[in-house]
Amino acid sequence: MAGITIESVTKRYGALAAVNDLSLEIADREFVTLLGPSGCGKTTLLRLLAGFAVPDEGTIRVDGAILSTKTSVVPPERRGMGMVFQNYAVWPHKTVYANVAFGLEIRRLPRAETRARMARILELVNLSGLEDRYPNQLSGGQQQRVALARSLVVEPSILLLDEPLSNLDAKLRERMRWELKDLQRRTGITFVYVTHDQSEAMALSDRIAVMHQGQLQQYGRPREVYARPANRTVADFMGLVNLVPAHVVVSATDGGLVEIGGHRVPVTLPPDARAGQTVQVAIRPENVRLAAAGAGASGEAGAISAKVVEVTFLGNLTDCHVTLEDGTRVRVQAGPGETLEVGQRVHVKFDAQLCTVFYE
Amino acid sequence: MGIGAAALLVLVVLPLASLVWGSVSADGRLTLDHFREAFGRRLYLQALWNSLVLGTWTAVLSVVIGLPMAWAVGRTNVPAKRFVHGTAIVAYITPPYLTAIAFVNLFGPNAGLVNRFLRETLGLPALTFNVFSMSGLVLVTVIHTFPFVYLLAASALESVDASMEESAQVLGAGRWRTAVLITAPLVAPAILSGALIAFVNAIALFGSQAIIGLPGRVFTLPTRIYALFDYPPQYGLASAMSLIFVAITVAALALQRRYLARRSYVTLGGKGSRPQLIDLGGARWGVFGFCVGVFVVAVIAPYVTLLAVSLSKSWGLRFWENLTLHNYRFVLLEYDVTRRAIWNSLLLASAAATAAVLLGSLISWIDLRTILRGRKLLDYASLVPLGLPGIVVAVALIQFWLRMPLPIYGTLLIILLAYTGRYIPLGVRSASAAFSQIDPSLEETARVTGAGWLRTFGAVTLPLARPGLFAGWLLVFVPALQELSASILLFSSGSITLAVAVYNLYETGYLEAVAALAIVTMVIITVAITVATRLGRGGPRLERAPVTN
Repeated sequence: MAGITIESVTKRYGALAAVNDLSLEIADREFVTLLGPSGCGKTTLLRLLAGFAVPDEGTIRVDGAILSTKTSVVPPERRGMGMVFQNYAVWPHKTVYANVAFGLEIRRLPRAETRARMARILELVNLSGLEDRYPNQLSGGQQQRVALARSLVVEPSILLLDEPLSNLDAKLRERMRWELKDLQRRTGITFVYVTHDQSEAMALSDRIAVMHQGQLQQYGRPREVYARPANRTVADFMGLVNLVPAHVVVSATDGGLVEIGGHRVPVTLPPDARAGQTVQVAIRPENVRLAAAGAGASGEAGAISAKVVEVTFLGNLTDCHVTLEDGTRVRVQAGPGETLEVGQRVHVKFDAQLCTVFYE
Repeated sequence: MGIGAAALLVLVVLPLASLVWGSVSADGRLTLDHFREAFGRRLYLQALWNSLVLGTWTAVLSVVIGLPMAWAVGRTNVPAKRFVHGTAIVAYITPPYLTAIAFVNLFGPNAGLVNRFLRETLGLPALTFNVFSMSGLVLVTVIHTFPFVYLLAASALESVDASMEESAQVLGAGRWRTAVLITAPLVAPAILSGALIAFVNAIALFGSQAIIGLPGRVFTLPTRIYALFDYPPQYGLASAMSLIFVAITVAALALQRRYLARRSYVTLGGKGSRPQLIDLGGARWGVFGFCVGVFVVAVIAPYVTLLAVSLSKSWGLRFWENLTLHNYRFVLLEYDVTRRAIWNSLLLASAAATAAVLLGSLISWIDLRTILRGRKLLDYASLVPLGLPGIVVAVALIQFWLRMPLPIYGTLLIILLAYTGRYIPLGVRSASAAFSQIDPSLEETARVTGAGWLRTFGAVTLPLARPGLFAGWLLVFVPALQELSASILLFSSGSITLAVAVYNLYETGYLEAVAALAIVTMVIITVAITVATRLGRGGPRLERAPVTN
């Protein structure tokens, strides 16, 4: 059991609050990602969890036991956690075996058990046979696995990972992603994972905590955070998004309609939205539908007329920009089979279920 | 290429060749007699042994002093870090023969102030310390060499990524265990390398070994070689001894290279993050006290002593009762050697620095930017002087130029050749560092635009490399201004240098005047460094310290 409770934690560096009054609940065996742009405070939060930083306010608990307050902090070496660093921090003066066995030696485990555990862990991370190599004889991915094995062999209940995949090339990154997820499922260790890569976060996490300027913006399942962003910052960070200016015409209680470029479009409005209010409709490019104009669709409810201004064929999809009649530019990702030409007149349709409305 | 090769031939290769020839020949015949004599007589074996003892103790004590200081500055919350750093820098810049003279005034067996105080005032003769001994020599030498360990260890500690240590902590290792199991092995190559450089420097210092060693009858290789030039000079034996000396130095430097090569792993890893500083609690004042102790011995003791001696009519327990400026009047106005020596030293240091940087630029440019045959050979040849102690350079130049029809022995020119040859590795290294930071495409752009290579070099390469080249100039200028080991064999009354003037005056026993001249020397060095730094932008990069002195 290792659930983490972070309560109103603040950490300041000078005048800047790297983490600002942040609360977060992480359940046992959960894979949680701290996601945000660089400088959002995610690494600081991880270091607070590890015990390398002392909070200025708030408390951090694991299974009810207090680990950090502003007056007392259990030092990192007595927390029994594991941590994987961005640069792996594999010790260059030790062999693979000595690197991985370090934590067991510190714990003075009986030799037989050390050997058994070492064999098991090296097998698990696919490093068997490389025990006597030095780190400079290993590839980036292998060093990464040494760092992982070194943290896992001591069987921590919590593993902290600070952008562990960011130094790997794209192909390897994808494979390691899968391996990490698999490892977490098999070991049942609570993972707290820091990254600025939203696709990585979505692929790996049970829940994502989106951070910005030291504050928690949204905390939820990947699908939820992607489809129902809590605010524009989250919407923007979770992938490509169109922000289309609109006016509320009919409030949520009466069905919910907004006007975009002279056309009435049904959307899901916040309950307090009043008619006449200026809002922004957020919709992801893959949720915008296009239909050729003149196919009698102009009368269809919610269709907005537009003109194609840019088309880029990307293989698995067609990336396309259209302008609405009021000049708003909207990005659309259509299927690869879609034949579009610059200058072509089209109708644009937003899926009401997949739109999110934000106030100006 | 031709110019560079010719210069290296004259400065390094040919003198070294005549040194080798001189060591294995007598009256034109091949013979091993000189080596037989060097290894056969107690006199010379003792010098060899003393040099090794001196070097080893100095290296060990340099680590004992330099490492705690580096660790305190890099990893702990010790107060006044700039002061600790400054102590090492000042100790490094102070010419070792001045430190030696100062300590003679404090711990000379009869007239030394501290010894007299212990004997006459406190009545504790048992506590007196005779500086004219191996211990005294080691003490004076360490003051000059511990900064090598300090600077290398400090930069290594700085480059160890914090995550290396944090990983160990997360796995359950406390601060001290992390220091022993992770940090220490990571910086060990740098420390060993610093110790070896301290060793090589220590055994090459002629000044302190003559000032402290000769009265105490502690003979070492440089002082023995020097004595062989008394009439009748024994060139063959001196050459053989010189080659033995070179062998020791080269062996130590080869060892150092190996360790330094392993050091590369310290800089592995991504973005370097600052390590957390160890809170020493009350112990920080203990560590600080240690640093203050080093400051007192390495900076206060020499400077205050020299200042006090230079202002006193006669050095003794009650020296403050009769303060005078007479000594300064003597060395500056009455002693006509002084002005000549100052002028010669400034001239030689500037000329040698300029020559070393120009040649260095040429050689490194050829190495980095051309595909001429033999450019690597040129580069290696330019590094050879690193393995040559100053006195060996002098012996080699004498051997060579005595055979030549050009009568340059006893002129400023031969000293200039010695300085340029000795310091050319510094010129080459600084120039390589400066040039390798300039992307070739910047030069290629100029060529494509229509500039010839000379124009390109003058309009693009040189201006971009200027700060680096100037740092190299200063790196040569400062030690050249204080050079003694080679000058002592090469000077004549017309070409006397500042360091030789101090040494000669010391030999006459007029201690108060020597102290005044020593202070004058330090003032000139300080002013020269300041002016030079102002003229060219960018300060001296002392962390890239010269390897032999």
